[in-house]
Parts: sequence; C-alpha cells; structure tokens
Amino acid sequence: MNERELKKVLLVAGVLLTVMITLGPVCYMLITALSETPDFLRPTKPLTLTLDHLLSVITADTLHLLAYTRNSLLISAAAAIISVFLASLAAYALTRLPLPRKGFFLGGVLALSMFPAISLVSYLFKLMARLGWINTYPALILPYVAWTLPVSLWILVSYFAQVPRDLDHAGRIDGASRLQILVKIILPVAAPGVFSTALLVFILAFNEFLFALMLTTDQASRTIPVGIALFEGLHGQIPWGEIMAAATITTLPVIVLTLVFQRRLVQGLTRGAVKQ
Amino acid sequence: MTLPVAQKLFLSAWSTLLSDSGSPSTRVWVRDQVWPTRVVGILFVLFLVVGCTRTDSRSVVFAVGGAPVELIFWQNLIGDFESESGISVEMVRRPTDSSQQRQSLLIPLKAGLSDPDVFLMDVAWVGLFAAAGWLEPLGGKVEVSPFFPNVVNEVDTVGGQLVALPVYMDGGLLFYRKDLLREAGIARPPGTWEDLVSSAVKVQRRQRIDNPNFFGFVWTGSQYEGLVTVFMEFAGSTGGFVRTSGKIRLASPGNIQALTLMCDLIWREKISPPSTYTTMKEEEVRRYFQAGDALYERNWPYAWALHQAEGSMVKGSTGVAPVPAPRGSRSVSTLGGFHIGVSRYSDVKAEALAFVKFVTRYESQKRLVLNLGWNPGRQDLYEDPAVLAVAPHLRTLREVFQKARPRPVVPYYTQISEIVQRHLNRALANEVSPEAALADADREIAGLLARYELN
Amino acid sequence: MPILSDRTSSVAPRDRTPRLSYRDRETLTACAFVLPLLLFLAVLVLLPVVGTFWDSLERDVPYLPVRFVGLANYGAILRDPGFWDSVRFTFLFVAVSVPLELLLGLMIALVLNESFPGRALLRAVVLVPWAVPAAVSGRIFELIYNYSFGLANYLLQVSHLSGRPINWLGTKVGAFAAIVVADAWKTTPFVALLLLAGLTGINQDLYAQARVDRAGIFQRFVYITVPLLKPVLLVALLFRTIDALRIFDVIFVLTGGGPGGGTSALSMFAYTYFSSGDFGYGATASVLLFLWAVGFSFVTVRLARFREETL
Repeated sequence: MNERELKKVLLVAGVLLTVMITLGPVCYMLITALSETPDFLRPTKPLTLTLDHLLSVITADTLHLLAYTRNSLLISAAAAIISVFLASLAAYALTRLPLPRKGFFLGGVLALSMFPAISLVSYLFKLMARLGWINTYPALILPYVAWTLPVSLWILVSYFAQVPRDLDHAGRIDGASRLQILVKIILPVAAPGVFSTALLVFILAFNEFLFALMLTTDQASRTIPVGIALFEGLHGQIPWGEIMAAATITTLPVIVLTLVFQRRLVQGLTRGAVKQ
Repeated sequence: MTLPVAQKLFLSAWSTLLSDSGSPSTRVWVRDQVWPTRVVGILFVLFLVVGCTRTDSRSVVFAVGGAPVELIFWQNLIGDFESESGISVEMVRRPTDSSQQRQSLLIPLKAGLSDPDVFLMDVAWVGLFAAAGWLEPLGGKVEVSPFFPNVVNEVDTVGGQLVALPVYMDGGLLFYRKDLLREAGIARPPGTWEDLVSSAVKVQRRQRIDNPNFFGFVWTGSQYEGLVTVFMEFAGSTGGFVRTSGKIRLASPGNIQALTLMCDLIWREKISPPSTYTTMKEEEVRRYFQAGDALYERNWPYAWALHQAEGSMVKGSTGVAPVPAPRGSRSVSTLGGFHIGVSRYSDVKAEALAFVKFVTRYESQKRLVLNLGWNPGRQDLYEDPAVLAVAPHLRTLREVFQKARPRPVVPYYTQISEIVQRHLNRALANEVSPEAALADADREIAGLLARYELN
Repeated sequence: MPILSDRTSSVAPRDRTPRLSYRDRETLTACAFVLPLLLFLAVLVLLPVVGTFWDSLERDVPYLPVRFVGLANYGAILRDPGFWDSVRFTFLFVAVSVPLELLLGLMIALVLNESFPGRALLRAVVLVPWAVPAAVSGRIFELIYNYSFGLANYLLQVSHLSGRPINWLGTKVGAFAAIVVADAWKTTPFVALLLLAGLTGINQDLYAQARVDRAGIFQRFVYITVPLLKPVLLVALLFRTIDALRIFDVIFVLTGGGPGGGTSALSMFAYTYFSSGDFGYGATASVLLFLWAVGFSFVTVRLARFREETL
C-alpha cells in the first residue's frame, strides 16, 4: 500500500472514529428518549419507538422541566449581557486609556479564573442565605457574571485592540464622551466579536453546575444541569426514557446554538483574535 | 471553565478555518437598534427582579421522598387533609437516595428558608436536626401516649423537648424458608447466631446438590449504612455502640466476636456469598431470597409484602422471626423508619402542626398500613383486628419494635457511620483483621470528636 | 502592535481648562470603566475565597456554636485517610485522563487538518460534546455504563472482549474508567481545536521539503509535526490539568463519590462535607484544592510565558 492510500485509510478511519465517538452518546440519548423501554440493546428486546416520554416530561408539572428551561435561559442570558457589558467597559479602558500596571491587572484577572468553584461556593452559599437570595435569580446571575468576567475580558481585549484608534479620535473630535464612543462606535464595530463573547458566556453559564446545585434548593428555581442530574421521573425505577427525553429537550437548543452560531462566532473572530 | 488564552487560541483556530467574510449590514443594523434595545433592556431587568418563583406563602410545604407508590399515598392523604381543614398543602418531592434526601433538607434548613415547613426524616437524622435547632418543639400540642414509648423517648425527645413523631417504623428482621427448615427437621427458626450458622450449613449442603447458587444466609454487607445496622444486630444488646464511661468504644470483645462471625460467614463457613461485601444492599438481598436461593435473609419488613406477591418463588413459604442474638446477649433489632417534624423557620407553624397531627392520627396511620403495607408509629394500631387480618406479622413486629434499638442519637452520627462502614467493610473484604478494623474505627472516631472538640 | 497602549491621542480638547490634566481625567475615566468589573470580582470571587479560608479556620457545624480553631482542621485533614484517598484519586485521574485527551485530541486535530468533503460539517460535529452540559453528559454515560442494558456492556458482549458484563459503576476500577471516559468525551473537542490551531501554524513547506527527502508519513509526523506542536501540546496539557484537578460535575452524577467513597475527587470530598453541614472541614479541603490548582497554574503561566518568548 503506497503512502497516499495509507493516508486515505487513516483519514477515513479517523473520520469514522471521530464521528462515532462524538455523536455516539448523543445518538444513544436520542434513541433512548424515543424508545419504549431503555433495554432495547438486549438481544430479545425489540426497539419500539414512541413519543410518550417526550410528551410526558413536557406536560408533567411535577417535573418542572419548563421551569428549569426558563430559569436556565434567563439566567444565562442575563449573565451573558451583564458580563459582556462590564468586560467591554474594562476592555475599552485597557486598550485605549491610561491605566497603571495593565499587564499585572490582566494577569491577576487570568489568575482568578483558575480558582476552583468549590472554593467559592460555600461562602457564596452563606452570603446568599444571609441576603435571603437563595432560590432567586440574582443568586446565580451575579456569581456567573463574576465567574465569566475573566474570559469575557480577555477575548474582548483582543477584539478591541483590533479596532482602529482613528474611530475613537473621530468621536473625540465630535465631542463624544468616552462612554458614548464605546457604546455608539466601538461596540457596533466589534459587534460580531461582542456577540460571540456573549454567546460563549451564555453557554458557559448555561452548563454551570456546582453553583446552581448549592444556591438553589427549590425545584422550581433550578437550572437545567441540576434538574437533569437530579431527575427522578414519574414512575418506577430509574426512568431512563424520561431522563433522556428531558435531556434531549433541554440540551438540543444549546447544541443547535453552537452549531448554528459557530459561523457567526468565527466571522467576528476573523477580525478579533488573529494577530496577523 | 476554560482558560481565556486557550479560549483565544480555540477561537482563532476557527477563524483561520472558516473563511466567511463579515457582514457589514449587521453592524449598521445593531447600531440602529438603540431604542428597542433600551425598552427590551428595561423589561428584562424588571422581569429578573420580579421573576423568581415563590410558593403560595400560606400553604404548608411538605417535603417527602420515595417511590411513586408512596407519593400517591401522600397525595391522597393531603387531599383529604385539605378538604377537611381548608389548609392547602403543597407536596415537594425529594430525591429517593438517602444521602441526597438528607442534603436536600439540610441545605434549606441551614439557610434558614421557610420552606419546607413539614418534612419526613430518617430516624438516623433526627439527632442532627434536633441538635442544630431546626425542629420546632411539638411538646404539649400532641398526644404522645399512642406511640412506641421507647422510640419517642430515645429519638424524638431531645433536651427534654418533643421534636418529632414516628410516622412509620422499621426494624431488622430474619426471614426464613419454612419449607426448607421443615425438610431439614428443624422445628424453629434460630434464636442465636450459632444456631443460625449450624442450620444454614446443614441446609446449604443439601441444597447445593441441585442449586449451585444457593447460600445459607444473605445480608447487607456493602459499604453503606445498612452494614452498620446489621453489625449492631450481630453484636446484640451488649454490643454495638455501647458507651463505656461516657465514650463509644467499638473494639469491645463482644463486637470483635460479632465482626469475626460476620467475616466467617463469608470466608470460613461460606454460607454468605462474596458479593455480600461488594454489592449486597436491601434490594439485592431481597431478590436473592425471593428467587429461592437462600435459607435466611436479614432485611427490613418491607420485603414481606414483596415475598408474598404474585410471581415470588417463596410465596407462602416465608417465615418471619426476630433477629438472632449472640450468646450472652439479647436479640435487638436496629430501629429504622421515618419521623415527621416541623421546621423552626416555618412561616405557617400552626397549619404545619395541624398537618402533623393529621398525619399521625389513628385513621391516617391505619391507611398507611392498609394501603402501603408499612408499619405505623402508633402502637395502638397493632391491636386493630382489621389491620392484623391483612398483616398478621405485625404481632411479631410489635415485640421487635418495642425492643428495637436506635443508632446513636448524636448529631454527628452520619460521620461516625461513614467511618464505621468503611472499617467494617474492610474487615469483611478480608483486608484487615476484625480487631484491627474496630481499633482503627475507634481511633478515627476519637479523632473526629477531637476535631469537633467534643471529647 | 502592542494591544495595551498607555498612550492616547496627543490632541487636547480646546474648549475647557480643567483643573485636572487631560491625562488625569483619562485615567479617572479608565478607573471608572474598570471599577464595575473589579467590584464584581472582588465581591464574588476574592471575598468568597478569603471567606472560605476563614471558614477553614473555624469549627462550623450546625449543632455546635461556631468557634475559631486555628489550624486544627488542617491538622485533622492531613491525618484523614479519606483525604489522602481523595488526593490519590484526583492525582490518578489527572494522570490518566489528560494524556488520553491529548492523544484523542491530536487524532481529531490531524483528521481535521486534512481537507476533505464535509470537513466543515465534521468540525461542527466535533463541538457537540463541548456544548452538552457536563451533568447531562454524566447521565448519558450513567446509562451507557448500566450493568444490565447499557451500551458499554452491550459492546463488550458483541465484541466478545469479555465473558461477563462488567459492573462499571459498582467497582472502584470500573467507576474510575467510566469517569475518565465521560470526562474525556466532554473535553477532547476543546483540546482538539487547540491542537488544530497549532497544526495550522506549521509551515507546509517543511512537509514539502520532507517529501522531497523521501520521508514517509510516520517519519514526517515524528520529526516535523510533533516537535513543532510541542508548545501547543504543553499549553493544552497544563490547561487541561488545572481543569481536571477541579472535576466535579461528572463524578456527582455518575457515582456521587463512588462505591464507598472510592471515586471521591477532592472537589467531591469537600462537597460531601458541605452537604452534611460541616462547612469548616469542607472549607479546609477546598482551600487545599485551591492551593493545588493555583500552584499548578502559577507554573502554567510561567511556562506559557516562557514558551511564548522562545517561539
């Protein structure tokens, strides 16, 4: 077998392996969600498809699935917007305004992102309990904002650095304040980058688990990851069909978001991250 | 969480691959959307401030975990309470897993939340919850005489105050195959562990001829709470967590003997399967016995109904007896079950108390035994003819419960249990000798108490 | 062009004569812009860390008055065999899962580096595990590793690799393997894309030259690709290690700490204490994890900067 053929074989094998590994579990989740019983892999069991699981998890009030979804979406969206906005302010200052010890500042912020969540959560729990905010949105939104600020800052700094200073100067000449320049000129120009940062923060906040686990006790206030992790279902032994149905419904949107907007993400990035 | 620089590289990777050009129209469009954005923004903020669900504040929130059939029972009971009293009750479902359930009660209580108002606690948690001051005293407002006095005094009365009531009771039992014992010429179920061993060896030898899976005695030896409850029964009334001069000392001769016996069952007499210390928990043990592959089973009373159900291989041939005793000691069953309490932070204490009284009154407890087959906390029900007709084994159970012994009612019991489980299991797995295991456990418990400055 | 500029326009506005110099006003504005971010980080990240450290110096259980005990918790935890089991597990987990992810990631990156029809689609597909929340992927794997009808035992049976089904989640070794696989599934896409960025940075002329010199596929891989990929590999290794140290979600869902505490990584160990109400001891464990992660990240940042300079 000559080299070209070998390469082709390796490539095909690699592609197949990659697809199987990445999509395998997801397909398994889908099939289980649609299958009457979860043990369809047993030799004697046929595979009968049904929509029952999907319907029952959506319509059952006691399962709170819609509540989880609503909570996750709103909390993540709020965290994304606030995080990106605050990071934009700081990124603007870091790239255009005089500030002492910028490298130190960025390094320190970077260091903060390496703290394990478990080292924060117990104190946050006590704090939120004292404020009476357990089971409320701010209890999760605020920590998520803080948690994602380092990421937002780093990405936005690289985007903003790419935006030419001339735009700022033009704004100054027109008598605009720094804030006005940021909001009216820089943000629109960097919009794709800002959007992709927000999307990233959204996904990170959406998938976060530990804070949500400890800062919410009420099922109606839970988020999707915690809801699915503790999902008990309506009937009998571990209701795999229902769990997978719930998982499908709640995570398919995030998957689709990632797939769809990944192009958008990159569009903006072409101007943002690459230092050519 | 991924690191920012890595994120940058990650995103730049994508950027170099996909060569779509930008869309200038986006920029212009975003820039033009100032006012709609502001309106949406304000609405959004308002929604966030307002948008968190709160349950109706005048209803009693009742937290209960368990299997679907239990939940149906509670739902029905709640319905009757609501129509009778006009007080609304919201049932909140907790995880079925024991430690998750405990955590799901502990966190809201530690945070001082007003919900749940009423909840069910495993008997092993009452000590912690009471000592933490999370239970509202019930004393004087409920009548305690109908309940098992030993339980009420030892578990539910803390610091002289009544803080909980038993809803249902559990105690370890010995299940046995009446037919196999008769066949082997043994008249009665064993009263001592020695008798159990000798009869099990005899019967197992016989049964192994046809059934290679047969074991004389199945019990829960996996590394979890169940192991501790079983250990206490092997050790009898003079063993277990007995205090000598104020301290719990596990490495007593009686306990060492008990643990040695437990190990011998697996390794020397070989009448208990090796899976005993790896996977055997309540359900595994029940299923083993129910398939007809065991002579003796140590389990909780719930297994009785399942053994007598259709499709069970041991239907009609199962007998129930108190757990055997070691020589020189009385038989003592480990107390289990769930108790009901009211949260000290509840905002509807009067209504919550009314609900507690409803749950623990005669008619409700009767429904508990007739519908669910559970053993009520009220002693007076064990004389009701209708009840005994359905569940004759309650006669035996009454005696068992009257003498049942709870696990140490100390707030740090869960930590002690975790230590003891680990060492007991190591001994069962033949990794250490029983003496060493118990001595190690003692040492760790002493360290625990020192850390809490309780010694 | 430096990203962070300390100089702004030298043109001063003419209409006002402020008491503060233009530059000072700009600095004030800069501080005002940065302040919200700093406040958030200070209150919701720094303060909790300090607070947790303070908690670790206290005896904090629900049934006793909270009392300052100094370093007693640290003394106790360093003598706690459960703690050392946890440290061992965490260390083993990192040592096994990170190389696995690097290897798989490299394979995927190599595949994605080639051009073939559907490459864009494959790139999108590779991102899917990253998008799924760890807790959800944990449940999927919980099903995969189900003893009676899970995919893992089915595959074992079908491929005749093992005579009997394996009790994955019920044994320490099986559970360890299960957790490693579940975590690798979720995080490999990220590593793959990181390595891909590195691959695309390699000058293609080197390969052309190697082909002229009659070097085979594997030789080109070993002598060109790997050495030039080393910096990115190192970065990926270090970042993944720090993340692996903090693992929690997958363990919580798959084993809850494992059969008898056998898969209790340090995060899980601390969480078990928090959820039992012992906030003091849990805080101690989480501070030690914090020191471990920060110590390691210190090394990371140092080495990353060193690498950047040498490139």
